[in-house]
Amino acid sequence: MNARTLRVIASLAISLAAPVASAQDDDEKVLDNVVVRNRLFEPGGHLELSLGVGLPVQTHLTAHYFFNVGVAYNLFNTFALEARAGYAASRHTGLARSISESFLDRQDKKVTDELEDLWEMNLHGVAGVRWAPIYGKLSLLSDLPAHFQAYVWAGGGLGSFQRNSVIQCTQVVDRELGICDDRAVPEDRGSASSDYWVKETRVAPVVSAAVGFRFFVLNKHGVRLELRDWVFRDAYRVNLLRDDWEAGRETGEPAASPGFTHLVQFDLGYTFSF
Amino acid sequence: MRPIISLALLVAAPALALAQANVPAPGAETSVPPPPVQAQPKPEAPSAPATRPEPVVPQETPEPAPEADTAAEAPAPASPEETPVVAEPQPTQPDAPATPEDAPVLAAESPRTTEAQQQRLVHGAPLYNPNVSVHIVQKKRFADEGHHEFAFFPATVQVNGKYTNHAGSALQYIYHLQENFAFQLMGQYNWYSNESDFNLELIDKVREQAQAASSLLLVWGAQAGVEVTPLYGKFAFLNDSLAQFSVVLSGGAGLGSTRHLIRPEVANEVDGETFTVPARFGDTGTKFLGSVGGGFRLQFGEHYALRMEVRDLIYTARVDKVDGCNLADFEALEAARAGNQDFATLQLSGSCKYEKFDGVDPKTKKNYREDIILGRDLVAEPSSDVLNNISFYAGFSILF
Repeated sequence: MNARTLRVIASLAISLAAPVASAQDDDEKVLDNVVVRNRLFEPGGHLELSLGVGLPVQTHLTAHYFFNVGVAYNLFNTFALEARAGYAASRHTGLARSISESFLDRQDKKVTDELEDLWEMNLHGVAGVRWAPIYGKLSLLSDLPAHFQAYVWAGGGLGSFQRNSVIQCTQVVDRELGICDDRAVPEDRGSASSDYWVKETRVAPVVSAAVGFRFFVLNKHGVRLELRDWVFRDAYRVNLLRDDWEAGRETGEPAASPGFTHLVQFDLGYTFSF
Repeated sequence: MRPIISLALLVAAPALALAQANVPAPGAETSVPPPPVQAQPKPEAPSAPATRPEPVVPQETPEPAPEADTAAEAPAPASPEETPVVAEPQPTQPDAPATPEDAPVLAAESPRTTEAQQQRLVHGAPLYNPNVSVHIVQKKRFADEGHHEFAFFPATVQVNGKYTNHAGSALQYIYHLQENFAFQLMGQYNWYSNESDFNLELIDKVREQAQAASSLLLVWGAQAGVEVTPLYGKFAFLNDSLAQFSVVLSGGAGLGSTRHLIRPEVANEVDGETFTVPARFGDTGTKFLGSVGGGFRLQFGEHYALRMEVRDLIYTARVDKVDGCNLADFEALEAARAGNQDFATLQLSGSCKYEKFDGVDPKTKKNYREDIILGRDLVAEPSSDVLNNISFYAGFSILF
């Protein structure tokens, strides 16, 4: 899914950009001059602040909800430098919880590997460039014009991560019920104050890329819609022995080629230009 | 809005006649009447651009009047309170009303428009005339009404594949009954449909997998529906070229053929020789199919367009038969397999294609009878689901 998502993003960017550069005749060049002349918004040379909320496009074992603030400086009308920082609230999905509970009782599986893509990103900060080669106008309800820019974004930074295993429970409380925490009522998962799943934390580099639209509203305000991919290196252990992890001992070894995790988000944001 | 505009044009007519003898009215980019503005002293020179440069009324002496088309597109006040931008120009007064906020920038030193080239109309608008702008999104250059359109999507890729992956191609016919409304017929074939790596990972590591209905694969689909284009616009790419686009929304319903993975690709070792046995799929029948979608259509010239859309194919999934065989059939086949009995003698349901679970593949030496237990597992617990297969469609179309 992740590789395809990247291909989709690339296809979208190329499809938007490449064919337009050709197949233009003289008349259209004249029209273009009009378009440029009639631009209402020229962000070049302006500083801008932004707020954004990101929702997951697809969830497997984890779900992330991003809250970001950003500051950008538009070097030109089409090019800007931007820094973003924020926090991603994360959780295990219902599927992950279901797997963790059922696997406690699957004792026929004595040796296994940790699942991929279980790292959850929390605090993060990235800096990048934003290239907006497309400036357009949209007719809304026939009388209301909307001006927008379409852009691509790329950059990198650091993020803090946590990983909660759904396989390695160091203290099985009730195997049949799939309980690996200190809940007071077996049927009430919310009554637990702590659990015994293996946890890991780390700080790691993160790369981010996005495509999106920015609609200008009034003079200084804007609404941003974008599809953003956060990419970071995965890390998990393989060849885990059930007897060892249930005894609280470290087991297995790191995967040789863990690959990369992609968090694809739909981001809705607001921008204010100074 | 239309009566208001008509009334405004009537009010504006004498003013336009006056304007023809004086300063041409700067056009606005929208037909929405601009808000009332306070009269301001005319600046001496254009100010430095902030978010956008402040509009400046030309200071030169009166010029030749713009073409009639332009006058018709210039905004006019809808009521006396909303006055002023165009209806009653005061060309020689220093407190001339300000131009609307979204009017084009007119530099004081704008070139004169007395040359024939500058007065030439381009698509009905005097675009060479720097003192004249046109409606925000001009009338569509290419009308769709009454046109046929064939769209070919060489690549349709599923983007929400949790348990399944799909990739294919699609062909679509659209008849534009009206400018913003069309009928469509669409067929697509997924030349790749398989369970996702994530599902296989769950099977391998934790011995869990998606229910059969949740991992149903779509082989082909055919549907009919409608398409609407509520929005259109234009954009400039790198200031050098222009493209016009429409936002398209579509919906349809039809039928789709489904299948399910019975066995992934395996290695079969026979007499010390290893054969790779390809994955095996079982037919799970034709299902009702619906779709909703949206995207962009970028038009190049009168006959060609690029389409980029996202569609959600929704299909009902209930897996109670595989290759026409239900649970009772599979249990009878399994019992016959254990007894090395001929399947042709069994009392099976009429739709059961038991031949697919009989015999040995001459190439891979795989005994198909070994797959009976896998097929039975799929229908042992009949499952149902409504699947959303969201795919990205990229293609091009020809209009005629």
